[in-house]
Amino acid sequence: MTDQVELAAQGIAERVIDLVVEALDVNALLLRIDVNAVVDQVDVNELMDHVDVNELLNHVDVNELLNHVDVNQILDHVDVDRLLDHVDVNQLLAHVDVNQLLNRVDVDSLAKRLDIDEVLRRIDITALLDRIDMNDLVGRVDVDALVEQTDLGAVIAGASGGLATDALDEVRSQAVGLDQFIDRWVARLLRRQDRGPLAPPALLDAGAQS
Amino acid sequence: MTVHPQTAVLVSLQRHYAGSVTRFTAYAIDFIVSSGLFAIALAAISYAAEVITGHSIAWNKYDLVTGIAYACWYLLYFGYSWAASGRTPGMAVLGLRVIRADGAELDPWRGIVRALAFPLSFLFFGLGFLGILVQREHRALHDFIAGTVVIYAWDARAARLRFLAREPLLSASPDGIAGR
Repeated sequence: MTDQVELAAQGIAERVIDLVVEALDVNALLLRIDVNAVVDQVDVNELMDHVDVNELLNHVDVNELLNHVDVNQILDHVDVDRLLDHVDVNQLLAHVDVNQLLNRVDVDSLAKRLDIDEVLRRIDITALLDRIDMNDLVGRVDVDALVEQTDLGAVIAGASGGLATDALDEVRSQAVGLDQFIDRWVARLLRRQDRGPLAPPALLDAGAQS
Repeated sequence: MTVHPQTAVLVSLQRHYAGSVTRFTAYAIDFIVSSGLFAIALAAISYAAEVITGHSIAWNKYDLVTGIAYACWYLLYFGYSWAASGRTPGMAVLGLRVIRADGAELDPWRGIVRALAFPLSFLFFGLGFLGILVQREHRALHDFIAGTVVIYAWDARAARLRFLAREPLLSASPDGIAGR
């Protein structure tokens, strides 16, 4: 009996609510609400604490979103200089793995787009040369290889390879060869185990340092 | 890079004690030059005397005056050369140089002492020169007296550069280096 009464009361209540909702003009009601006052009552920070932003972003199709964005239009409104003023480039670069970045750079393609003449025109050659230690630079040059592989050899041969010089080199070379030949035989006859000093000690030291 | 073996040896020999053949060749050149100059000087004196006095002078190489004059000239030639530059003309041709036994530059007085002691090496059939052949530092008697040694001092590096410069040219030519 009691159950039947409760069911009847619940049915009546639901019917009354339906009639009230049907009679209510929701738009008119919202117009009467001061939304700003409601928002003022909301603690957004506390609300955000309860929001899982990452989870939210997982549901967002960023690419789809970006398709609707006119990036060029946005950039037109951006004051890039002012933006860069706020950027600490050094700190930014500290986080950049330059090697990895360079691995992704197509150097050949970059070089093709580079106007070498323009770059060279901007370089202050005089200032650059002032900073170069020419003596050190020349010291690193393999003169022998240079003479062998370039036309410089022909220049040297033409400039200093006269008949007299060639003849002198030849005479000296032959004499030195005979010196060594006789030295070897003398050492053999005298049964010397070691040849002894090759040069005065001071000159040997100087030769080793040069 | 190919380097002529002999040229490489020459580079490494720079500053080393000079051997007997080079030194003898240098002396032979000096002997020819000094004797030739002496003969020219005697001929000039003879010609001048004939022009001035009308009598020619007959030089005899066994004459005492000629011998003394030649000895003085000999000392002047070698003494001045060694004292001034550490080398005679013959040594310059062969790329030799006289220095002190410890490797330092030659003092002028040592050059003069060497020239004065030089004739002593000729005594007893040139026994003083034997040291050049058998002594480890190739020092003759006059070297020991003056405290000197003789070294190879010619610019072997320049010779090497000339050789390297010629090598590509020679290999490019039809006969090549083997054709020399």
